[in-house]
Amino acid sequence: MSSIYKKKKYVFLFLAPAFVFLILYLYYPFFVNIYGSFRQIKSLGTYGTKWNTPFFKNYLSLFTDPVIWTSLKNTLLMIVATILGQVGIALVLSLLVDNIERGTQFFRTVYFFPIVISATALGLLFNLIFLYDKGMLNQFLEVLGKTDLTDWKNEENAILTMMIPVVWQYVGFYFIILETGLNNISQELYESAAIDGASRLQRVFYISIPLLRNVLCTCVTLGVTGALKVFDLPWTMFPKGMPLKKTFLTGTYMYYQTMEAKNVDYGATIAVLIVVLGVLLSKITRTVFRESEDY
Amino acid sequence: MKMKKITAFLMTAVLTMGLAGCGGETAPAAATEQEPATEQTESSAEAESSAEAEPSGGSVELTVTTTFAGEDSNAQNYKDAVAAWESKTGNTVSDTSATSDETFKTRIITDFETGSEPDVLFFFNGADANDFVNAGKVVSIDDIRAEYPDFASNMNDELIAASPADGKKYAVPVNGYWEAMFVNTEVLDAAGVEMPGADYTWDQFLSDCQDIKDAGYAPIAAALGNIPHYWWEFAIFNQQTPDNHLDIPGSSDDATGKQWVAGLEDIRELYQRGYFPDNTLSATDDETFAMFTDGKAAFLLDGSWKVGGIVGSCQSDPDDPSTLDADKLSHFDVTYFSGKGNRKTTDLIGGLSMGYYITTKAWEDPDKREAAVSFVSHMTSDEVVPIFAQHTASALKNAPTVDESQFNALQIKAMDMMSGVTSLTGAVQDLFNGDCRVSTFDGMPDIVAGNVSAADAVQEGVDTYQDSLE
Repeated sequence: MSSIYKKKKYVFLFLAPAFVFLILYLYYPFFVNIYGSFRQIKSLGTYGTKWNTPFFKNYLSLFTDPVIWTSLKNTLLMIVATILGQVGIALVLSLLVDNIERGTQFFRTVYFFPIVISATALGLLFNLIFLYDKGMLNQFLEVLGKTDLTDWKNEENAILTMMIPVVWQYVGFYFIILETGLNNISQELYESAAIDGASRLQRVFYISIPLLRNVLCTCVTLGVTGALKVFDLPWTMFPKGMPLKKTFLTGTYMYYQTMEAKNVDYGATIAVLIVVLGVLLSKITRTVFRESEDY
Repeated sequence: MKMKKITAFLMTAVLTMGLAGCGGETAPAAATEQEPATEQTESSAEAESSAEAEPSGGSVELTVTTTFAGEDSNAQNYKDAVAAWESKTGNTVSDTSATSDETFKTRIITDFETGSEPDVLFFFNGADANDFVNAGKVVSIDDIRAEYPDFASNMNDELIAASPADGKKYAVPVNGYWEAMFVNTEVLDAAGVEMPGADYTWDQFLSDCQDIKDAGYAPIAAALGNIPHYWWEFAIFNQQTPDNHLDIPGSSDDATGKQWVAGLEDIRELYQRGYFPDNTLSATDDETFAMFTDGKAAFLLDGSWKVGGIVGSCQSDPDDPSTLDADKLSHFDVTYFSGKGNRKTTDLIGGLSMGYYITTKAWEDPDKREAAVSFVSHMTSDEVVPIFAQHTASALKNAPTVDESQFNALQIKAMDMMSGVTSLTGAVQDLFNGDCRVSTFDGMPDIVAGNVSAADAVQEGVDTYQDSLE
């Protein structure tokens, strides 16, 4: 029995299945995808019939395609909305809940609940809320005296309409993480601060938030990388970048090019861009929001 | 030439049905037993087919995909016919039917590409099927008949369209279709506009749209950002005649290309005049359809399958025909799309554009082959097809005479309209497959908003088409 621990080869034996799985289903498809981005492919499941001319044509198209720039802009907006909206609101809510004596579990359940609902179902739900002809919001505004209908999905409002449900859905996720972080802070610190005369607000700013730094860094990193992958809810509410291709994110635009426009090789190119973007942003996030060993 | 022959057959079938209805002939026994289209659930459930293959033994699960879903007139008839087959054979159907749109077509093609195609599918018989036909992933009717000689023997082979990919016949048709303009007459009355007739012109249409708009209604119910198909088809048809409508342009500058560009520019003109709903670029088809049925829009350009959706909107329970509000239904009518140039107003788009395919995957599975043949035979039997065909044509050799008394008011109006049709031409978009349409379908919002010129969009589509031929 003890020899198992001494002989390192057994470690590799246990690591092998996961390694093989990743090679087969992540790294191999990833490199095939890079190869595909240079080919001319109209159907899924094939490598195409010929090379693009020039072979890097799709990468040049990234610079001239106005929709990819719209997608990148929207994705960056989504990242900002994630950091400020999801993590920011979650921080405020967790601090508030941390300061109440009773009902903590109730709020945890309530705020976390949207996470367990399918994003597609949420998309359909918000479609009804934002419906032009007498959706919930327009009916509400009508009661308040507004006479004309607002198109919440038009060019001007679409981005905001798309981000509200996405932010709303994931607030609970970060709320739970931050709440757990707050629970790990020793009560003795708060008690001594209170004895020293610190107000509740001062305790938040001088104890809670500084001690939450590492947890916040983790949340921001998760938020940034998560924002790059948001797909289902925006696609349900704004299929094909509706209206006027103004609501595409990098993920939805990649799907559109691959599955709807049948421009599979260009979709593969956008996928490469997403990976590069993901690696870069993760690196930047880790650098900016580096976890500290002081806390 | 082949297309013209099929069109002639269809016209004969449609006109015969229409005239039979108008003449008030007594229907033969098979037809008189039918309930009204929306009340045919019982009869379809009991439908039996003499032409079917023997039951396969009763433990097979077939995966089936059709377009009989959502607002389609035959959504309920389909469920009933499937239930009848399941009950009779003991087999089961795993159904993934969905509303027919570009996403549905893409899903089907992707399913074939990734090897997850259904066993049986009801799909378009035009260029949309080229990819999986070329890949040998569906079985031709001739190949099936080599094993099952009676397969689709009740169909008039002349009316079964051949695949443009290889000229073979794959899809067994059920019901024909037509595309025309539905009208909410309540809106017309409120705007002081007359019901359009067989001599309705484009200029009259523009004038009426302005009157309707001035009266505070949306003249046209259409979601250009979601389903621009029907406007695309008719706007182009309006620049042409039935003889040249199925031509594909070689470039946006040639004669056909210019006609396509002019058609798209007509749609842009309608948009810029404000004749579409305010949210036409951000709405779904369901939303604008609801505007039409709720009396907020006057005209709806759509297909024969929408009759059921309109009737359903007049029922307090869409699944219960006995809850039909006949008075509400009386406010709906259907007429020809306004004519322009050399296209007569009474020239319509229509035909038999879809049918049941059996996939190679099911055919090569010894457990599923017989069940698939049995299923398609049942769904295309002499008893089931008339229930689906209703007020449209079918490819049956022995189509029963239609009994007008069994139809609802809108179906009768549809039959009256069809009795005046001068030609029925297939949709050119069925030949201009998938990705070729992207620049003018998905690109329609940019075209009407002026972000992309119609000529550039047509040229992009033509380039993609030329690439697909290589």
